[in-house]
Amino acid sequence: MVASSSAISRRTMIGGAVAGAGSLALAGCATDENDATGLHMFRVGRTPDDPNADVWGLAQPFEIDLGPQDMALPMRLDPAVTTVRVRALHDGTTMGFLMEWTDEDTNDLSVRVDEYRDACAVMIAEGTPGDAARTMGGADLPVNLLHWKADWQRDVDQGRQGLDAAYPNRAVDVYPPLFDVAPADVDIDAYVEHGATNWLPGVHAGNPISVGSRTSPVEKLVAFGFSTTTHLPTQNAGGAGMRTSTGWKVCLTRPLAAVDERELSVLPGASFTSAFTVWSGGGRDVGSRKAPSRTVHVVTVAP
Amino acid sequence: MAEVFNWQLNRMMQYPYEESRPIRQAAAIFDTNKCIGCQTCTLACKTCWTSGNGQEYMLWNNVETKPWGSYPLAWDVRELELLGPQHWDGDTYGGKTIFEAAPQGERNIAWKPTDMDYSYPNRGEDEVNVTLTSKRYHLKLPHDMWFFYLPRVCNHCTYAACLQGCPRQSIYKRPEDGIVLLDQERCRGYRVCFEACPYKKVFYNHTTRVSEKCVFCFPAVEQGIQPRCMRNCIGKIRSFGFLSRPGEEREDNPIDFLVHIRKVGKPLYPQFGLEPNVYYIPPIHVDSNAFLTMLFGPGCLDSIEAYKKAMNGEDNELLAVLLLAVSTDQIIHRFQLKGQTVEAWNEKGDKVVSMPLKVPTVERTPYDPDLNVYRYNIT
Repeated sequence: MVASSSAISRRTMIGGAVAGAGSLALAGCATDENDATGLHMFRVGRTPDDPNADVWGLAQPFEIDLGPQDMALPMRLDPAVTTVRVRALHDGTTMGFLMEWTDEDTNDLSVRVDEYRDACAVMIAEGTPGDAARTMGGADLPVNLLHWKADWQRDVDQGRQGLDAAYPNRAVDVYPPLFDVAPADVDIDAYVEHGATNWLPGVHAGNPISVGSRTSPVEKLVAFGFSTTTHLPTQNAGGAGMRTSTGWKVCLTRPLAAVDERELSVLPGASFTSAFTVWSGGGRDVGSRKAPSRTVHVVTVAP
Repeated sequence: MAEVFNWQLNRMMQYPYEESRPIRQAAAIFDTNKCIGCQTCTLACKTCWTSGNGQEYMLWNNVETKPWGSYPLAWDVRELELLGPQHWDGDTYGGKTIFEAAPQGERNIAWKPTDMDYSYPNRGEDEVNVTLTSKRYHLKLPHDMWFFYLPRVCNHCTYAACLQGCPRQSIYKRPEDGIVLLDQERCRGYRVCFEACPYKKVFYNHTTRVSEKCVFCFPAVEQGIQPRCMRNCIGKIRSFGFLSRPGEEREDNPIDFLVHIRKVGKPLYPQFGLEPNVYYIPPIHVDSNAFLTMLFGPGCLDSIEAYKKAMNGEDNELLAVLLLAVSTDQIIHRFQLKGQTVEAWNEKGDKVVSMPLKVPTVERTPYDPDLNVYRYNIT
């Protein structure tokens, strides 16, 4: 359902407009408690960016079964993570999800060729479960993603992780054309300062994976089906992840209102479709090798 | 899976995408008999494309010594081990390709390298096929011992495994010249491509955290200039040009001539099923036909005989084309042998090479009475 306002003409509004049109079959299933098919997004005074914030305790946790990714190649038929606990909050302007799962290993680097990061994601979609949500959207049904990455978290916490993190004892003579910079001091920023990013193709091309400094470990994306996941121009998602004694505890937040084209707005009092996914870096999970929720869930948003 | 024709296997095979050949295919032929392992090609590429932070062990071009050398470590042995024993029925491949042997949930069989596998670029360099400790070897011909250099770049395959493996379709094959490129803006560093490529010619950049691969120096190729690794080859082993589609071969196209007419250029591990477009003239001194057939397919022995005929003066046309290798920076589109002179033209029709099959030499007597000296270099 596309809002008529020209200012947000290409953004999609989930909630009031959809529910008003009566086109969302599960729009009326709002409930104060989570049930077998949906979870409730509780309203609080302020949505926290801290996974340890006490306010998360106000949201009832929802245990979600994760299963194999057996729809798109390459598949992950034996998922390393089988359950994730999810809580959802909003404060009228920002929504947040808290995801907790068990993972014995910490995989928060992706510098070496065989290092894969732990990660999790929330998918936000309009429509009913069983629509294009299971295929990560469709040509006319975009879905939004909030994607937290453990290596991005470490970048935020400790600065961009480069060769020092994996190869502290390396020896390099020189990095052309940075002849006046000691090789040990060469990093992405040095190339940027010298106007030499064409020596770093990913940086030069503006790839969001390659940027030198990060302020958020959560990326906001849009997808129109398998293979189409794309970085959104406005990156206003927040959140943080932290290790627990048994695994990860991650919160992911974003404004309820859409900013970019094909971004979905969420309105208090409405509902939307969602799915949850966890990647286990220790199991070389990446991309479509992941553990998605076995069913699509309806999130009812408290007024 | 689509059914596509792989002429190197002489049969149809399964591939995720429909057959869609470029108008012409950028291709190269490496004469292993002339390679001296100087690594000039490696440096030409390295200094041009991969000298950045995060690319330290990234070698779009490398030269490894066979039978023992490999980069990354034992790449071909491990890929062959995964594929298992296969067979040729004459000129037709009767086994499974890496696509046809794919396990459930995967697009192809794939050896997944670890960090350590990239740590030994010179592993096996100059090591011969037999151990030198068990007996004394004296110089004799033919050799008891052998090795040869195998220079490797991306094969810009017709049925690229990296391309079909990428879940984001970040890798594409250009219709105008068949060069396979990796979109640096779209790649997210999943590394499925570097697992999928059996030749292991896609690399991971540690700093940008996305993958990169050989671009066949496409900015030069678009201007009619050969890639850097080709034109810097001091052994003059490399012929670069465009291969025509099957059935559209031209006898005056040097690449078509070597691959399809004289059939001396053979693909590397054709049994993988990718239809690679870098071809090799097999070494003539290796005494293991089984080893050569494993590397270059069943036609490699005929290739060796054809090559020997050219070297013995029985096939001047083939000799002429071989002499064109690295004779000019420009990409040769047409050649002609006129008597004892070979001439070649670029795409615009400008003559860029005219050279004799045999370079004139002057022989002088060893003794120079004017200076009262004896010389050893008399030619």
